[in-house]
Amino acid sequence: MALMAQPGTVRAGPYTPEEVAWYETIVHRYARHVYNIAYRMVGNEADARDLSQEAFLRVYRVLRRVEPGIPLESWLHRIVSNLYIDLLRRRPRVRVESLDVPLPTPRGEVLREFPDLTFSPEAVLEKERLDRAIQGALGALSADLRLAVVLSDVEGFSYEEIATILRVPLGTVKSRLHRARQILQQRLRPYVEARRRGWGE
Amino acid sequence: MINHHRAGHLLSSYLDGELLPEEATAVQGHLLECAACRAAFERIRATKGLLGELPVAEPPVEFWSTVREPGPGRPPAARLPWPGSIPRRRVAWGAAAALAVGLVLALTPVIKGTVDRLHAAEIGVDLYVREHAFGMSIEPLADRGFLGVVVGDADLVLAGEPSRAGGSPP
Repeated sequence: MALMAQPGTVRAGPYTPEEVAWYETIVHRYARHVYNIAYRMVGNEADARDLSQEAFLRVYRVLRRVEPGIPLESWLHRIVSNLYIDLLRRRPRVRVESLDVPLPTPRGEVLREFPDLTFSPEAVLEKERLDRAIQGALGALSADLRLAVVLSDVEGFSYEEIATILRVPLGTVKSRLHRARQILQQRLRPYVEARRRGWGE
Repeated sequence: MINHHRAGHLLSSYLDGELLPEEATAVQGHLLECAACRAAFERIRATKGLLGELPVAEPPVEFWSTVREPGPGRPPAARLPWPGSIPRRRVAWGAAAALAVGLVLALTPVIKGTVDRLHAAEIGVDLYVREHAFGMSIEPLADRGFLGVVVGDADLVLAGEPSRAGGSPP
């Protein structure tokens, strides 16, 4: 394939039809995953679109330096994870704050109280509401925990893959996932219990 | 065997099948004995299951058009930013012509200076003295005047003047 170019030997000029076709293959194969991760991270369509578009634009720019053999998936997800973290840095007003951390006040620390999510069983089964609740719970996690849990439980990556994508040690992936799931199960307790009951307990 | 606290921390990794075989066996043994950890494990499993059932977010239509065609608005870095409407061939000819003009302009003084110097060498010192005699008389200590004096001491004849005493007769 004519895409084995090394850094430094990159030819200038527009992409050949083969290169464009290769880019389209990458888009076809990964765009949905990348968009989905971005969406689960940011929780809204506009930002998810921006993030994933930017990720693919970066791929397009360096297409000639990408060797066909390298695992593109981890690389793409790392790009989108980094873009997400950049997005958080650029928008200091969108403060990511864990809802489970005690809130310091002049009269000591207080824990936030949330409305009871225990609706009628019918409401619990309502898929759309459930999705919103899960997305809301994800949004309550810190960025680190959210990235780990989205990559693991939404996208199904192994711990090693997550460690590669996030460039953190394996032990960090384990502890982040553990903490993330602890927080999520508390936030989603009614749904979690309903699901357990559904298993015939 | 592992204690209750340690098992609690390993449940998440146990669920994902990411423990070493001996750790997994130890957690499995603990779960058989500890109802609290079994319940905790099931809650984690249910939480993971909930996340796994989230629908795949479908990208909007405009996402596809932008991602498939990143070119028009924002060209890749490898592509040179040519002005859109001018054909490349014409731009190349323009650049060559500009280079040629630049070379001529840069080299003209060099060549001309060399020719002048060669010419001056032929005419010799007489020309120098003739040209600078006036300046020498006005400002004898100026550089040009001084040189004239030095050259004059060599008993050179100024143009149009008879040879001075001591020199060879004309």
